[in-house]
Amino acid sequence: MSLSTFMGLETALRGLLAQQQEIDVTGHNIANANTAGYSRETANLVATPALPNPPSGLIGTGVTVQSYTRIRDSFIDVQLRAQTMKQGYAQAQQDGLNQVQSALEEPSDTGLSSLLASYWSAWQNVTNAPEDIATRQALAQSAASLADGFNQLASQLNTVVSQTQQQQTVTIGQVNSIGSQIAQLNSAIKTAEMGGSTPNDLLDQRDELIDQLSALGNTTVSQTAGTAGQYGSVDITFGGTALVTDTTASTLTLAGLSSLTSGQLAGMQSVIDSITDPASGYLTKLNTLASTIASATNTQHALGTDLNGNPGGAFFDVTAGNEAATLQVDPAILASPALIAASSNGAVGDSANALAIADLQQGLLVGGSTIDQGYSQLVTQIGADTQQAQQNLTNQTSLVESLTNRRASVSGVSLDEEMSNLLQFQRGYQASARALTAMDQMIDQLVNRTGEVGL
Amino acid sequence: MTERITQTMLASSLLSDLNNVTNQMSKSQQELSSGKQILEPSDDPFGTARALAFRADLASNQQYQSNINNATGWQNATDTALQNIEQLTQRARDLTIQGATDTSGASGRSAIADEIDQLIESIKTAGNTQYAGRYIFAGSATTTAPYTPDGADTYNGDTGSLVTEIGQGVHVPYNVVGSNVIGDGATAGSLIASLRQISSDLRAGNTSALQNGDLTALDAANDNVTSAQATVGAVSDRLTTALSRLQQIQESTTSLLSDTEDADVSQVMVDLTQEQTVYQAALKAGADIVQPSLMDFLSS
Repeated sequence: MSLSTFMGLETALRGLLAQQQEIDVTGHNIANANTAGYSRETANLVATPALPNPPSGLIGTGVTVQSYTRIRDSFIDVQLRAQTMKQGYAQAQQDGLNQVQSALEEPSDTGLSSLLASYWSAWQNVTNAPEDIATRQALAQSAASLADGFNQLASQLNTVVSQTQQQQTVTIGQVNSIGSQIAQLNSAIKTAEMGGSTPNDLLDQRDELIDQLSALGNTTVSQTAGTAGQYGSVDITFGGTALVTDTTASTLTLAGLSSLTSGQLAGMQSVIDSITDPASGYLTKLNTLASTIASATNTQHALGTDLNGNPGGAFFDVTAGNEAATLQVDPAILASPALIAASSNGAVGDSANALAIADLQQGLLVGGSTIDQGYSQLVTQIGADTQQAQQNLTNQTSLVESLTNRRASVSGVSLDEEMSNLLQFQRGYQASARALTAMDQMIDQLVNRTGEVGL
Repeated sequence: MTERITQTMLASSLLSDLNNVTNQMSKSQQELSSGKQILEPSDDPFGTARALAFRADLASNQQYQSNINNATGWQNATDTALQNIEQLTQRARDLTIQGATDTSGASGRSAIADEIDQLIESIKTAGNTQYAGRYIFAGSATTTAPYTPDGADTYNGDTGSLVTEIGQGVHVPYNVVGSNVIGDGATAGSLIASLRQISSDLRAGNTSALQNGDLTALDAANDNVTSAQATVGAVSDRLTTALSRLQQIQESTTSLLSDTEDADVSQVMVDLTQEQTVYQAALKAGADIVQPSLMDFLSS
């Protein structure tokens, strides 16, 4: 059996086509060099099946593109998503705690600590001139500033809580939107794979969405059961609850998430908890301080006598359970500072009761500490918590960066590489064209020149 | 296999490194412009606790100093008034000795009695001395004049003690109660009662009483005045000592607060210069590395 005269043309043509597809893929890579989540692709070339050419053996018939593959290491994906979750947590925590800490305005001459110092000093000043209305007025104003300071700090803490809750609502919306996009992609990927092709770009898009989702909360990815899974469909569980099942996306609510321990949503929750926790929350501690100041002052105040010779009434008013936000100087005292009960024995010049109230500064009234120390401990706790969140974020960010770099190293587009590939494939194309020309000249010789001997 | 380095990796590492240096520079910048190394509690949580404690200490310290200044002013006023009373008493004693001699006639003794009555009024006026609008001899009834010059010889104040705080939990009584020093007309043996007795004995010509009992009683009453002066002196000394101790503590606490809270300017300047150098180097390297690629060297 002899080979067809035109077989060489076919072989050269396959070469041309294959090199052209390589150049197309290279062009696609270059075009997507800056696309987020894009994995570089390669066209895999294989030699086409050889023809038997006895007795010599088999003769090659050229080349074809067997498949287009995206270069991706799914192990890095899993690691990266685990770290992204922790980074999201640290990020949300740091954002919230930074807000809390700037509300404190400490250490400074305007924070609650200096208002406390002014308050105690104002009582001492009254001991030096208890019969002087101006000094009493100064005390009432100083106490009112202290109460305002508590009110403002409490309201800022409450604002952080409500803002964080709003963010959680927005974030849950994002989760649901990502879920429905993944469900649509599942459907498109399944269709493509059933048709026998690998939808690389759709897979990239889905991976990118899963990356985004894992920053928001615990995300687990598993292959869908049955044939859907064989055709590339995946199921997503978010915060312990099914978000995507094959091509169906569920609508999640924050309350419905059974095990949310990581990611931005959990970080936001930790900020809310650290403020409102009924045992150790910042607001709880602030309430304790406000209620201690109010009750200790009021108790001692009731033992004294005011300038009019009457026993002391309420100095501070608070609403139980919400002390820091509601602390205020009793309006009667503000209206008439003569009602401040500075005297113990009833004489106008006596200030033993004012001194006793000033000495509350040294009283171990808050769990074995003074009120000043109790506040300082709260500031230290917030500072230490914030510092820890900042350090966590720094650590997680550098971990995520290094994993992102590893992924970019595997999947990213290197323009130098694409350029050298482009050169290589261009030369391959030129060479195939040259082979085609050679064949053409050969056949031309055969068809047009044969039989002209002696003419 | 060597790691593939892609353009995105170069760009993102450059960006994150530049970010880090910029953050450090911004931190140094803030430290320099504020002069503080603790700008927020998270910069140094335990330093913040120390700073808050030092600030509270300083505020109390200043308050104690202000209390001492107030009490010292009070002591000075008391001392002046007591000296005045002591001089008046001395003059009354001289007059009593003069009147007790038999050589003075009834009219002479009557004139002396008149002068002693005037001295009593002066002593009562001195007993009404005020400091910052408060009657210093009235006990805790500081708005009530303790004596009524040209009126009844009653003491209208009370025996209340005025106390100020000059250190944590250190309470110092600082007033002299008028009834203990000047007394009133009804309490036998008090300064006023003794003088009134002398005055009436002078008018009655009771020279033997003047020579013996009256003079002894006056001396005893005068002892009360001098002993009050001694107490005032002792309290003043105590206040002065406490003040200088508080000033020393204020100085050392201020320096501790500064160590805790304030930025070490020269150190921060050195850090900032280094950070700027690194920043410029990173920018230069970034510009050199990120820009070129194989494309620049391929002929078209």
